[in-house]
Amino acid sequence: MLRVSWSTRTDAAQSFGRYDHVCWAYDEPGEFHSAVGEFLTEGLTQGLRVCYVADGDTRALWDDLGDLDRTNQSAVQVRSLGERYPPGAVVEPVGRMRAVAVATEEALAAGFAGLRVAVETTSLVRTPRQLDGVARFEHLVDRYMIEQPLSVLCGFNRVELGEATIAQLASLHPFVNESTPLFRLYASAYAAASLSGELDATNDSLFTTALQHADLRPTAGELVIDASELSFIDHRSLLSLANHARRCDATTVLLGDLPSAVKLIDILDLTEVRIEAPT
Amino acid sequence: MRSSGAPDHRGLRHEAALYNSEDELLSVAVPFLTGGAEAGEPTIAVFGEKNAELIHAALGDTVNISFLDATAHYSRPATTIKTYRKLLAQYVAEGAQQIRVTGEIPRAGTGLPWEWWARYEATANHAYEDFPLWVICAYDTRTTPARVLTDVTRTHPHLVTADGERVANDRFEDPAAFLTRSPASGADPLEATPPMINLPHPTPADARRAVRAASQASLLDHAEVADMVYAVNEAVTNAIHHGRPPVHLRIWPRLDHMVATVTDRGHGPPDPYAGLLPPTPASPAGVGLWLIHQTCSHVTLGTDHEGFTIRLTAGVPDLTA
Repeated sequence: MLRVSWSTRTDAAQSFGRYDHVCWAYDEPGEFHSAVGEFLTEGLTQGLRVCYVADGDTRALWDDLGDLDRTNQSAVQVRSLGERYPPGAVVEPVGRMRAVAVATEEALAAGFAGLRVAVETTSLVRTPRQLDGVARFEHLVDRYMIEQPLSVLCGFNRVELGEATIAQLASLHPFVNESTPLFRLYASAYAAASLSGELDATNDSLFTTALQHADLRPTAGELVIDASELSFIDHRSLLSLANHARRCDATTVLLGDLPSAVKLIDILDLTEVRIEAPT
Repeated sequence: MRSSGAPDHRGLRHEAALYNSEDELLSVAVPFLTGGAEAGEPTIAVFGEKNAELIHAALGDTVNISFLDATAHYSRPATTIKTYRKLLAQYVAEGAQQIRVTGEIPRAGTGLPWEWWARYEATANHAYEDFPLWVICAYDTRTTPARVLTDVTRTHPHLVTADGERVANDRFEDPAAFLTRSPASGADPLEATPPMINLPHPTPADARRAVRAASQASLLDHAEVADMVYAVNEAVTNAIHHGRPPVHLRIWPRLDHMVATVTDRGHGPPDPYAGLLPPTPASPAGVGLWLIHQTCSHVTLGTDHEGFTIRLTAGVPDLTA
């Protein structure tokens, strides 16, 4: 089964399927290590290869995993982020995406039902350029995970990064733990993307940034967005969608129940955006 | 000067005709409209069904006169200004040297709220000043409340008498001053009762939740509730960003309508025309306020010693106060 196209907050790093993508903001490393343990243990029970990726040498990373079952040695991997990315490195989104796809295919070739990764990415999002690279990657990998059996828990240290950076990253994940942004923009099996939550003046600039990072592309002149889980959108975000559509030379179509937005679009003569009831 | 003749002013001419009989209405409207049609000027009449039929019958030939339905055209002041400006710009682009309009706001102050139409009449002096528009606003003194007629005389620089004489109106007030001085009335009788929602320091998300919760006590339809959610969201957002704390949200839901007030300690928008005029590239602020003037059933803005209050109504406003 493909990922269910909805998003939610979650308080536990379990009950996730083979296609899920979770943002896990934490204050204490121990808190994150517990979440990693839950997430990967569940992956093993689902017949997935599991992999833990974080800064530090591999021995320390194995320690982070605590009492995770290692009976099947080929089922559990650890990777040091520092070995691949020197300090300050900027992630190249497409290259990293290819590497993740290769790892997923290797897991399948080795007889596993898929790949599950828990990754601590704080050191890769410290600067605006780094953040742009990872944010773009987050959306690319999210699209890949729609159809491929890859599930990922992305850990970010809130104390080190601050709420604004966490909000940018969380807004591109279908699942987030506590401290959530009001909206999420993520991949959809049926549309260019899914949009959930609420869009207002408190997050309109965050939404504009998320649109840039996702870089959604139209199909046959239309950028169709599943907005069935979007409960509110104001004129600011409608204007952002219109601007994005204009840049793509396309029309944005929001599939959702948004009667006030229909009226705002009419009053503002926004020909680049329309609302349609979901079928 | 007779109303059938061309005015001596080529910009906006904004006049009020206070009539107390059908004959008086016709004595002003018919020569005005036929004069426009004969001069080849775009000529428009905007009346309710009864008076439109009356004028139509008296005119005989209406080939060059456009009739618009007043109920649809005068649904909300900000919408009316937007529609008129688009229409006027189109006529000017087609070469019109003068455009004539005469119309009547339906049920002014008797079945529909008047306060925002008083603001409209003052704002019209500014909103159409860049067009060669000659407009006569008709009011029936037999049915129009005295307080409405007072506002009409304060907002029209010229009055047209029953015999077609037009005189400068010495009770006309500078529109910006009128808008700044006029205290908002239009309190709903509901406001004498405790509000269902009484929320200090709301965030926009809190405000949206509060409207949705309050709507459970009303029979407003899904779209009306969604419009009210948007309107209250914008009012609270404006209060937080442009007003002075503390911000306070109150909501009174009833079966056929819902009233919300958002109060802050500030002085309200500095632009006296805020909410009624469309934002422009040169003046892009106030989009939300302008939009909610086109989605609510009624909006009032008022400042008193305690601060600024915006009152938003969804559904059928109660005018019994």
